[in-house]
Parts: sequence; C-alpha cells; structure tokens
Amino acid sequence: MTRAAVTCASCAIAAVALTPAGDRAVRAQEPPAAWRAFDGSWSASGSRQTIPTESGRSAAVAHLSGAVVLANGTGIAAGFTGEAIGFDDGSSLTTGRAVWTDSAGDRIFSALRGGPLQTGRRISATITGGTGRWARVTGDYELTWQYVVSAEGGDLNGRSVDLRGRLRWADGSP
Amino acid sequence: MTTTAMAPVPAARRVDRRTRVARVAVLAAAVALWFLPVPDGLTPAAWRLFVVFATAIVSVVVNAFPILTASVLAVSAAVLTGLLPPAKAYTGFANGTILLIVLAFLVARAVVLSGLGTRIGYFVVSIFGRSTLGLSYSIFLVDAVIAPAFPSNTARSGVIYPLAFSLTEAAGARPDDEGSRRIGTFLMFSGIASLSLSSALWLTAMAANPLGAEIARTFGVDISFTRWLLTASLPTILAMALMPPLLSWLIGPERTATAHAPEVARRALFALGPLTRHERIVLAVFVVMVGLWASAATFALDSTAVAFLGLGVLLASGVLTLGDIAREGDVLATFIWFAVLYTLSTQLNELGFMGFLGQRIAGSLTGFPVLAAGAVLVVAYVLLHYMFVSQTAHMLALFGVFLEVGVKLGVPAAPLAFQLLFATNYFAAITPQGSSANLLFAGSGFLSQRDLYRLGGLLTAFCLALYLIVGTLWLRVVL
Repeated sequence: MTRAAVTCASCAIAAVALTPAGDRAVRAQEPPAAWRAFDGSWSASGSRQTIPTESGRSAAVAHLSGAVVLANGTGIAAGFTGEAIGFDDGSSLTTGRAVWTDSAGDRIFSALRGGPLQTGRRISATITGGTGRWARVTGDYELTWQYVVSAEGGDLNGRSVDLRGRLRWADGSP
Repeated sequence: MTTTAMAPVPAARRVDRRTRVARVAVLAAAVALWFLPVPDGLTPAAWRLFVVFATAIVSVVVNAFPILTASVLAVSAAVLTGLLPPAKAYTGFANGTILLIVLAFLVARAVVLSGLGTRIGYFVVSIFGRSTLGLSYSIFLVDAVIAPAFPSNTARSGVIYPLAFSLTEAAGARPDDEGSRRIGTFLMFSGIASLSLSSALWLTAMAANPLGAEIARTFGVDISFTRWLLTASLPTILAMALMPPLLSWLIGPERTATAHAPEVARRALFALGPLTRHERIVLAVFVVMVGLWASAATFALDSTAVAFLGLGVLLASGVLTLGDIAREGDVLATFIWFAVLYTLSTQLNELGFMGFLGQRIAGSLTGFPVLAAGAVLVVAYVLLHYMFVSQTAHMLALFGVFLEVGVKLGVPAAPLAFQLLFATNYFAAITPQGSSANLLFAGSGFLSQRDLYRLGGLLTAFCLALYLIVGTLWLRVVL
C-alpha cells in the first residue's frame, strides 16, 4: 500500500508540475499601449549575514531564491525561479539585484531598492533587461514582504503576495 | 547499535529478478521524465533535480535500492550532470542538526555499553512493565513531560532513544531474534510516534512551531503558548492514548502481557547492585546534556556543541573508546544518506520547485466548497512531506502558501493555521527521512525499510484523520 501511495504521489506531483499553466500572465492581460501588467507572489528562502553598525542596527547581505509565480484572473499563469542578492547598509540604503529565470532558461534582470528585509517592508525594482524571449525588456515592479522569518543558523524565509508590475519590449514586440 | 534492513550490504550481494525489474522500471521512468519538456515556470535545473530526488525516493520505496545506495547515486547524478555545484551538493555534511544525530548515536551507545541503559530499562519495567503497552505509554509519558523544554526534537530524540533502547533490552528483544524482534519494532516506532505527537502538543517542542506562529500572525492569527496547548490538547492527547494500541495491533509484538515482568525487573535491579563508575559518569554527562539542551534557547547554546561536549567527556573518561566508535559503522551510513537527501530537498526548495508545486496544487482548488478546500489543503500539505527531509523547511516553504490560498477560498484562517501547524509535527513519521528525530530509531536495527515506510504512512494517515475530524470539532469549540 505504501509503495503504491508513494509512487502515485510522485506521479501526481510530476503530473501537477507538468500540467500546462495556461497563457503567460504577461501575455494574457490586455495592456494599455505596449505595457503588459503582471502580478503574483514570491516565496523565497536563503541566508542573511550581518555586522553591527554605529546606529545600533545591523548592516546585512542577504541571498534569497525561490518561486516567482505570476497570475492572471483565472489562476496561475507563469512562473520563474527568482534569485536576489541585497545589501542593507544599516541606515537608509538598501539595494540589490534580482534575476528571474523561466522554464527555457531565459532571464529577466532587475535592480532592487527599498527598505530592509523585514515583514511589511516594501521593495521597488526596475527591470533592466533580459535574455532570450525577454531580451530588450524594460519595466518595473514592487512587492511588500508579507512575512520574513529567520530560522536557526541565519536561514531566512520570506513571502511576498502583492508583487505587481509592468513590462514592455524596447522595440515594441516580444 | 546495529542495522538490519537499513543496511545495504546483504541485499547488494544478490540481486533477485524482482529487484532488477524494479531498478530498470525506476531508471526508465527517470530518463523519460528527464527529457520531457520542462514545465512552464520551472527552470530545467529545478525540474531535473526533482526527477533525481523523486527517483531516489521511489527507488527506495519499491525496494529497487537501499536508501544509502539511492542517495549516493542521486547526489553523484546531481553533481556530474551539472545540476548542483559541488559546494552546494555537500552542504548537508556540515549541517549542525545532522551532526547532532551522529553524536546522539554515539552518546546513546555509551548509555548501553556502560550498563546504565539496562538499569534504566529495568527501572521503567518495574513500574510500567505489566504489558508491552505499558512500556510504550511510558515512552509517550516521559516525552510529553520533557517536550516543552526542548525546542529541538532532534535533541529530544537523543533522550528518548536511549530510554526506548533500554526498554527493548529489558524486554529481551534482539534485532536478530525472530522470537522477540517485533517487541523492539513496537517500542522503537513508539519512540518515533511519540516525538511527532509531543511536538504537536507544545508550541515550544519543535523549532518550526514558533516560526509558524510568527507567519500565522501576519494572517491575523494570534498563537500564544497557552492557546496552542489548548487547541492541540484534545486531538493530541487522544492520539497519544490511541497510538500504542494501534501500533501494537499493526506490529503484533511477540508478547503483550508481561504480568511478572515488574517483579523480575525489581529483582534484576537489586542484583545489579550500586551504580558502577562508568554508569555514574554516563549518568552525570547525560543529566548535564539534558539540562543544557533544555536551556539551549535561553542561554543561546548550540545543541550540537552540547553533544560534542558530552561525547568529549565520555571519550576522555574512557567510558567510550575509539574502538567503540569504530564499531558504529551504521552511523556513517545514516550520516551519508540523510545529509544527501537533506541537501537535495533543500536545493529543490531554493530552486523554487516546492513553492511552485505548492502554489499549483493550492491554486487548483478554486471553486471548491470551503470545508472541502480546507481538508484538501491539509491532506495535500501532509502528502507533500514525501518530498521534504526537514519539517522546518517544509513549513517555511508551504505553510504561508497554503494558508494564503485557503483564506482566499474562504477557509477561516485560525483553524486552517492550526491544522497545518499540527500536521507539520505529526507528518514527521511519514518517512524515515521526514524528520531528523526519526533517525536514531530508524538505525536501531529493529525497523526495516519496509516497516518505516508502511508504519509511517499508516500512522500519518491515522493522525490526519483524527486531527481533521476531532481536531476540527475541537477547534470550533475553543477558537
């Protein structure tokens, strides 16, 4: 019974993963002009290293990765593996870089800025380019950390559910 | 400490036809999945690492390979195909919790070698030993009492395992004796079940519980120590009461009624005389270790360093020798396979696979009735633990996703949050690698690979049903 259950569970997981997700969110929504809007979530895990500063706060370097899932009105429509590195100087400056990689290995690059990596803090990003189907893409997005929790050993986990943004291709076509 | 079915050597010498067929089938499925188009939203690395990980797990379950063989083949495939850089692929070998398991194995060995384990066993039997059920209940009782002071259930397994092992010795059970083996199986699985349930009873009995409470707070669900205890009390205590008879029925120990055992144990205790020097040293080390583990959170002590200290004292005092350690070869096997599976599962999460999958499953429930959606979310959350090698990693990857989707579907946040957090504890037993707290028991020699997966699946299904039915009704009363 257990063998059958585990085998079936594995097949089910593979089947769920393989089920076509529908049109990409960025293509499914009718954009005003050339902009294509998207929204979604990012579940990320990683690590944070800190050192103290004179202000009493800590400066930190964080590395996070996890699933970026974009949705349209009918459900989940597209996903990427999102990876980011950020630096918080312990006073006012938080900056970083992110890269989203899709199923074909094509990438979207962005520059991050905003508050420290904490629950409720907001991050803004500028999409700076891409590769493959995302080549010459520009745009921006924002997200708010619904929660950020630290586990033992400096491990970090966070989730944003209001990732919203827009993008367009510099030459007007994907 | 010996291992029977968890050890790969005997099976590896002669491969029967059925095993060969299983191997070919599993590998063929793996190759087919590897070359399928990558699902939209995943990177090729994430999809193929899933194929490697799932192949390893399924090959163990269908007895194509022992768990050590499957693990080392999996990590070699992941590195040699470029899915994982070596630096990431071997991170599990430097993980503090996994080192803690190895150290707890060796300290537990000192308890047995010194004779203290036998004495503890006789003592417990003299009180609870009128039946094997009584012995099992004694494990649940001790664990439930000490659990709130132990935020690490792995460290707590280092306390409960020597007790369970001592009871098997006192009951005359031997891994290689077909006339007494199932008594050991029963008591060892009682230890696994007890750790999963005692962790569900107390907010502070498992590292992931307070983290889950912190995430639940962002959904407006306030979880305090007393609120957790109140909501967990009825289903968990009921599960603890029913688990020993259920396990006894499933396992069928060779003896159940041992009416004269308490008297025999009392006489044996008397015959042992006063504590020997080695017993006194082990007892002192063990008491100090338990005290430091219990106060680890308060004083910011590292549990693994505490175990290193205990092992160091045992070696320096001559209670344990290098020869004793050299004979614990199964510890090395456990260390390797668990470190590998832990790393693969962690990397799968970091590559976004777990979050993507959770979102896919949870997102497919749109249109479900509220009650059904809540139940399906909990069931799916539990089944997905087949893919995880850490309760904390599972909770951090999926709890927020499932809770968010449930709330959007209209499921009340508080009951769903509690159900998911309780599940984070009781699903630990679903596979031997489902929690690091299982490993000492899995390596005892009394539990075969088949026992671990079969009993783990059945125990988890029982708890799932009990918490969903009794727990839901109870939550309606107390929330």
